[in-house]
Amino acid sequence: MKLRISKAWCTRMAELEGDTEIGAGRLAIDPPFDGETIPVVDRFDEPNIAFGRLNNLMRRRRGLSIEGLAMAANVTVTELVEIENDVRYNPSLQTIDKLASYFNLPRSGLMQMAGLTASKDASLSERAVRYVARTESTAELTPEENAALEGFMAVLSEQK
Amino acid sequence: MTASISVVHLFNVARGESEAAELSDAITERHLADWEGEWMPALFNAVRRLKRKGVPTREWPQSSHWNWRRKVNALHGILASPGFSIVCNGMTQGLMMVDTATHRCRVDSQNGKHLVYIEYVENAPWNRPELFDPPRFRGVGSILIRAAVALSEELEFRGRIGLHSLPQADSFYANTCGMTDLGADLDYEGLRYFEMTPKQARAFVTWGRLP
Repeated sequence: MKLRISKAWCTRMAELEGDTEIGAGRLAIDPPFDGETIPVVDRFDEPNIAFGRLNNLMRRRRGLSIEGLAMAANVTVTELVEIENDVRYNPSLQTIDKLASYFNLPRSGLMQMAGLTASKDASLSERAVRYVARTESTAELTPEENAALEGFMAVLSEQK
Repeated sequence: MTASISVVHLFNVARGESEAAELSDAITERHLADWEGEWMPALFNAVRRLKRKGVPTREWPQSSHWNWRRKVNALHGILASPGFSIVCNGMTQGLMMVDTATHRCRVDSQNGKHLVYIEYVENAPWNRPELFDPPRFRGVGSILIRAAVALSEELEFRGRIGLHSLPQADSFYANTCGMTDLGADLDYEGLRYFEMTPKQARAFVTWGRLP
């Protein structure tokens, strides 16, 4: 349906409308805000491989540990661990907000990567996977990582 | 189905002038992504500010709990439930969803006739004076109502529309839109029901042409 609405009409009505509220519709269908807890939006059940890796690289670029980033960005350690290690973890909107602000990244793009909104760009997911593949480390393990891996393998062996 | 885009104008409050915007006869993924990515955090932060300032809950925005994605998904593909959206400056500024099939007129002179019923209409948080002072854009409500009237005319309902207004918006529908106030509707949680007759629809379209 194509409409022809003149600029003069829009301007005049904007003046008449002024700063009045315009909302209409039935109340109480969805759970209300309590003013503190951010509402849960419907999740997209796609693995968000890139978001955890992005967070990992941005954190390391700044020379921060997970604990350091948690303090600097005012995010919980638990949530950062989940973000970096669980590809199906959906962070809260508050956390996205804080990380976007701390890393100076666009919030809407970050939300797409984190699986909180469907992608506006169908190729984003494919590009994100390629980007993750390119950033996969090929460096040899440090002595500490080797020790941790051997310890972990030993625990696995005990499970047999 | 491809959405039609019409050029409209919103009043940019900071710049003191009108700005070109796009009115679309659809709510698409792009609009829902704006709602989730930009509206929700802005609304949440604004509500939190109100709470921390001690503003009573009855004065909080009354649509802050709406979930547009759920509504659009629920009605997706139902021809009788089209949606409308306004985009300006690359951002969704207003959303509206209507029902053209299941509601009938209640006002005496039009009783029982078809109308376009506005299920939901909402302004972006930054356009709402109770949340942002000054709001960013004015005119979103009038353009969406004009779109509903145009749809009503296209369906040969002669401009008849109806809606249940949120209490904070009663004056907009009574005074700016010139609709008939049929009082509180106990079946709709006490919201006031407003209806626009064909005569009022013509007047609404004309008002914008007056100097």
